[in-house]
Amino acid sequence: MAGAEAFVEADNAEAIITRIEHKSRKIESLLKQSKPVEALKTALEGSPPNTRDERCKSANWIVVHRALMAIKDVEGMFSSLDPEYYDILMKYLYRGLSTGDRPTCDQCLRIHEKLTERAGLGCILRSLADTVNTV
Amino acid sequence: MAATTAHQFAQCINCHAWSPEQSMIALCPNNNEVHIYRLLEDKWERLHVLQKHDQIVSGIDWSARSNRIVTASHDRNSYVWNLEGPEWVPTLVILRLNRAALCVKWSPKENKFAVGSGAKTVCICYYEQENNWWVSKLIRKRHDSSVTSVAWHPNNILLATTSTDGKCRVFSTFIKGVDAKDSRTGPSSDSKFGEQIIQLDLSFSWAFGVKWSPSGNTLAYVGHNSMIYFVDDVGPSPLAQNVALRDLPLRDVIFVSERLVIGVGFDCNPMVFAADRQGIWSFIRYLCERKTSSGPKYGSQFSEAFGKLYGQPKQGLNNDGVEHSRSRGGIHENCINCIVSLGQPGISTGKRFSTSGLDGKVVIWDLEDQADLSEYL
Repeated sequence: MAGAEAFVEADNAEAIITRIEHKSRKIESLLKQSKPVEALKTALEGSPPNTRDERCKSANWIVVHRALMAIKDVEGMFSSLDPEYYDILMKYLYRGLSTGDRPTCDQCLRIHEKLTERAGLGCILRSLADTVNTV
Repeated sequence: MAATTAHQFAQCINCHAWSPEQSMIALCPNNNEVHIYRLLEDKWERLHVLQKHDQIVSGIDWSARSNRIVTASHDRNSYVWNLEGPEWVPTLVILRLNRAALCVKWSPKENKFAVGSGAKTVCICYYEQENNWWVSKLIRKRHDSSVTSVAWHPNNILLATTSTDGKCRVFSTFIKGVDAKDSRTGPSSDSKFGEQIIQLDLSFSWAFGVKWSPSGNTLAYVGHNSMIYFVDDVGPSPLAQNVALRDLPLRDVIFVSERLVIGVGFDCNPMVFAADRQGIWSFIRYLCERKTSSGPKYGSQFSEAFGKLYGQPKQGLNNDGVEHSRSRGGIHENCINCIVSLGQPGISTGKRFSTSGLDGKVVIWDLEDQADLSEYL
């Protein structure tokens, strides 16, 4: 029984990885067209918080990271990023901060400040308090 | 101003409850005692100190009709206090817990009370006439973590609980010989004691502060992830809504009417939620106007830490988007952890309620002159 579940999970993980690869190509093309916000939205959409597979989470973090680092104008980004993305973006910002990588942290802190202004402390609480749907 | 009176009773108040005619208040000043005060010519006078518990008192409830006080404490016991002459006489209720009792509530008919505990259990206690003794019946093995709050449905049978496992559950507490058969209505009509009616799996973090609406049709509870949940049609096919908050999480809620909910918590200022004609719940506003004083802007320790994070405490967070003046400009100066409805006897809700918190104040609020909220009352 447990074996069957693990199999389903692995099968599911493969599907998620394929989807992320597809997403990655789309993001590259959006970045070439200098649409960084569209790229970030694509990266955040369909993030796999429900799966426990670390591979999927890492794969999606890589594409989000790629889109995140391409953001130059943070204020401009928020004028076209809808509030429904705020909570998931905050989770990825904390993931970025946990890497300890200097340029990533700089970028995440810059976005974090603006995001907190917009989404409030509640957004931070939701990303910190949720231990089930991690990114 | 929605707040009518505020009084500093102690350094910190865990919980409070009012006497039936609301002339006296019982509160726990963050120790093992319960203090009872009475308002005498604009001065609060301490009448009694109830000393029987060994550890912090975590819950107090004062029954409206029978004038009995029940207390629950971290010492794992409850006492039912009866006023005999000038003295409050305690009766020990052995809850049979191996962890702290965390909250307590009288049932609407006052023939039972429920205690939530850190032992992942809920105790339903009732009086046995022949033994002159309060008996505790446990609902075990249902909660995966501490029970933080309990709320009685108006039908005296259903009990809602919230737990630090993030779930809100509804149980039947039908006890043979205590509850009459005809009082069982609706989905609970053929359920036995301890049967779980529903488990609501909406929150992914600690859940607190559950309450039923006056009719018992709607349930509201809060999560530590800055969310509040509203559940209609509690039964086989519930309708759930959640509202995400901009600010810090709530600790407790009350229904003022079927369509108006007040939430209190770490933001030190009561929040008003209301349902529109379609039954869609949303955040309306803070009850206390924000004062834009030029004084220290950072009320909570949280935002002070925030200033350090960005190295520029006065900049960035200081614009209209995030305004942290309310905790200092408001009436409460620290987390509000208890809210009690001040209804007239017989009417389950009123426009008045009281709040107490870690700042040691009790504040009485009145929604009478809040014109924009009158349509929801």
